[in-house]
Amino acid sequence: MLRSLQLPRAATARSAFKQSSLPSVIAPRLRRSYATESEEKDLVIIGGGVAGYVAAIKAGQEGLKVTCIEKRGTLGGTCLNVGCIPSKALLNNSHLYHQILHDTKNRGIEVGDVKINLEQLMKSKDTAVSGLTKGVEFLFKKNNVEYIKGTASFAGEHEITVNLTEGGEKTVVGKNIIIATGSEATPFPGLEIDEKRIITSTGAIALTKVPESMVVIGGGIIGLEMGSVWSRLGSKVTVVEFLGQIGGPGMDAEVAKAAQKVLKKQGIDFKLSTKVMGGDASGEKVKLQVEAAKGGKEETLDADVVLVAIGRRPYTAGLGLENIGLETDDKGRLVIDSEYRTKIPHIRVIGDCTFGPMLAHKAEEEGVAVVEYIKKGYGHVNYGAIPSVMYTHPEVAWVGQNEQEVKASGVKYKVGNFPFTANSRAKTNLDTEGFVKIIADAETDRILGVHIIGASAGELIAEGTLAIEYGASSEDVGRTSHAHPTLSEAFKEAAMATYGKAIHF
Amino acid sequence: MASFATVCRLSARLTAKQVRQDATARGFRTSAKCLAAQNFTMPALSPTMTEGNIAKWSVKEGDSFTAGDVLLEVETDKASMDVEAQDDGIMAKIFLGDGSKGIQVGTRIGVLAESGDDLSSLEIPAEEGPAKPSPKQEASKSEPQAEAPKPSESKSSAAPSRQPSESVEKQTYPLLPSVEHLMHENGLDASAIEKMTPTGPNNRLLKGDVLAYLGSVSAGYPAELSNRIEKLSHLDLSNIKLAAPAPKPAAKAAPIPESIPQDVDIAVPISMKAVVEVQKRIQSSLGVFMPLSTFIARATDVANDDLPRSRNYKPTAEELFNQVLGLDKVASTNGTRGSFLPQITALPGASPVASLAKAPTKKVDVIDFLSGKSKSSASSFTAKPVPGMSASINIFSVKVPKGDEKRANAFLQRVKTVLEGEPGRLVL
Repeated sequence: MLRSLQLPRAATARSAFKQSSLPSVIAPRLRRSYATESEEKDLVIIGGGVAGYVAAIKAGQEGLKVTCIEKRGTLGGTCLNVGCIPSKALLNNSHLYHQILHDTKNRGIEVGDVKINLEQLMKSKDTAVSGLTKGVEFLFKKNNVEYIKGTASFAGEHEITVNLTEGGEKTVVGKNIIIATGSEATPFPGLEIDEKRIITSTGAIALTKVPESMVVIGGGIIGLEMGSVWSRLGSKVTVVEFLGQIGGPGMDAEVAKAAQKVLKKQGIDFKLSTKVMGGDASGEKVKLQVEAAKGGKEETLDADVVLVAIGRRPYTAGLGLENIGLETDDKGRLVIDSEYRTKIPHIRVIGDCTFGPMLAHKAEEEGVAVVEYIKKGYGHVNYGAIPSVMYTHPEVAWVGQNEQEVKASGVKYKVGNFPFTANSRAKTNLDTEGFVKIIADAETDRILGVHIIGASAGELIAEGTLAIEYGASSEDVGRTSHAHPTLSEAFKEAAMATYGKAIHF
Repeated sequence: MASFATVCRLSARLTAKQVRQDATARGFRTSAKCLAAQNFTMPALSPTMTEGNIAKWSVKEGDSFTAGDVLLEVETDKASMDVEAQDDGIMAKIFLGDGSKGIQVGTRIGVLAESGDDLSSLEIPAEEGPAKPSPKQEASKSEPQAEAPKPSESKSSAAPSRQPSESVEKQTYPLLPSVEHLMHENGLDASAIEKMTPTGPNNRLLKGDVLAYLGSVSAGYPAELSNRIEKLSHLDLSNIKLAAPAPKPAAKAAPIPESIPQDVDIAVPISMKAVVEVQKRIQSSLGVFMPLSTFIARATDVANDDLPRSRNYKPTAEELFNQVLGLDKVASTNGTRGSFLPQITALPGASPVASLAKAPTKKVDVIDFLSGKSKSSASSFTAKPVPGMSASINIFSVKVPKGDEKRANAFLQRVKTVLEGEPGRLVL
């Protein structure tokens, strides 16, 4: 039915051009730009990031004729190219270096001269990135996804003009269109980003030498991860955060405080409740004026490199939204309904450029759900069970509500806490920083939130996510066998502490 | 694929429409489905329930109620449960009062009327008999829209307390460890599960549900908590503040000034260095002073020849005919002669030509040219020295109607080539 409605539409659009009484001089030029027009696709996806490429592969698997347009030159978006993946490569290797440097003697390992080869460190990161992005390209081929390299903009509600990377122009027509253009780092007003001295996360994974000093504006996850990397490699890192706690508003206050303590011990300085008033990059060092958030004493910080990590904002520039009248909200997020539809129902939006947390795994879930909505009429993403992880050392991970939120909602709750100092595996690893904290409803024992700080917190949180997804009580987790000796036992013990008592603490 | 989703949405919308139509058309039809009054039969509150007792009616005859109101309390051998209204209406008649016992599922216990109906003139439908309705009928009665794929919103907006008819569902997967433990601890057997109200995802029986059944937490609390958690599982799309449509007025404002003058200024910077040099050479060798205007006039003349056609140009009938035959591509006389006269101004800061030094050099902003603000005095340039012409870079501009830009551009490019390249040929 839809098809029969739409084919005539595409036909009329084209014939309208033919009917025009343009003189012969002009006509060939117009005709040429339509010469490369391909057939109408079931689905056209703008953006080959995590949201876009997952949706494209899923659509290919569902048998849709699908095209994915990406302008970066490689697939995987921010996450694979300049985000999660390269930063984790640096975090892991810098941690290894840091540990060899500071934490071998008492383990009985004697090491000679330890040096960092930054060039090789970056190369190993790039190898990981290129391997993964090429992997996605292979998956495209395997699942019959057409991949167009170029910049897309809306010419009409179904037509997208692609400015091809290799030159030329192409028009793509899609029955359904998914916008998944992602986000970019929010710039700091007054500081011009050159990615060399004033950098975002993109520059922070590609510095060519270890800066002597670094100021990080924003104590959220990105700021703390990149701050950790360069601090381990030898920079003097100062984190300036406007709020009274690190980790952003989602992190549990108790966990945030513990994380701050550990990171401080590792050599990162914190200036919380502090506002950056402005900066000056004209001198040899970048100068930042800061003052207490509630007014008060002013101070000037000097740094070789300033990392701006105050958050990310949706990226929709050049998309031609105005051509089809799509709306964004005051933060630039594209407005959608609960099925990701814009006000033009065949155009849907997923990932960072719309609502919800800007997380790769959230985008991935939406990529699958949106294709299911298109193909089957129903999709599912449980936004109440999306984990967050900060890959510092120790890692911080959480899912569900934090204690502040539960308290504010007025629900009566219980908290179970289990420290890694009481966990046998953490003890043998000589890595006992942190704890597992479980928040459950006081009456029904249903788990409301799980918060972990400790080595491998990011791996342990999967169990908490599963528990919340299934509506489990802390007793359900506590009565499930966990292998010994593993860090996961701390999770079980924290659950036991929630509804009863932990055995080992 | 896509069409399937649309059709689903469509059908959902159609059903909704149907329901509305039913409500309005009811007065004109007499089909049983649309009768004003409906028999209200003993509901099956669990798949295994065959008969029950009426503990208490919560509404009296003549009372009106809204969807979700408790109509009566039904007792079975296992539990007692509230029966809620599925829709707004009026309790027209109660056949079996409080305390009636052993009523077969499907037996008529009352008559429901639509809200707004006149009870005195209401026709009481005949009893359909206590025959056990098949579970399918029961389901379709309680949920008339069950066939239509529901949009996801309907799930989240489900009434806070679940309808008893769907609340008890067989737990087909292994029970949660906490549930199993509580049951053994309290000596409950499998049949007790059927009396519990599961509130977990996909009707999973949770620890809280067993506790509610045992009475250690209040009966409605697990459902309340479930609803709260359910809300968190959706994106919060309420209170969206649309971006101020700031760029829109700007976009609207832009075309307006353009549409008023309808003219476009095309400007090209042209260096007069070569011309001045030739001028000097001629003067020194031939003793003749050639004014710059002569060079420009001749360059203009040459450049106006055979220009590409204006976009506004309407082809003649003959040309159209040729076009149809494809002859236009063969014929070489595609261009036409133009009649452009460039307007010339020196770039600010450029040194004025020595011979023109007396002429006042106006400070002119390039932007003025580009935005079309400058006053035109193009036609006068051959008659008297051009104001503000400099020995180096000058801006040559022409004002043309919209659509002629290409033509004007070609013209100016040619003037540039001639003047900068070999101006000597213009006069020799």
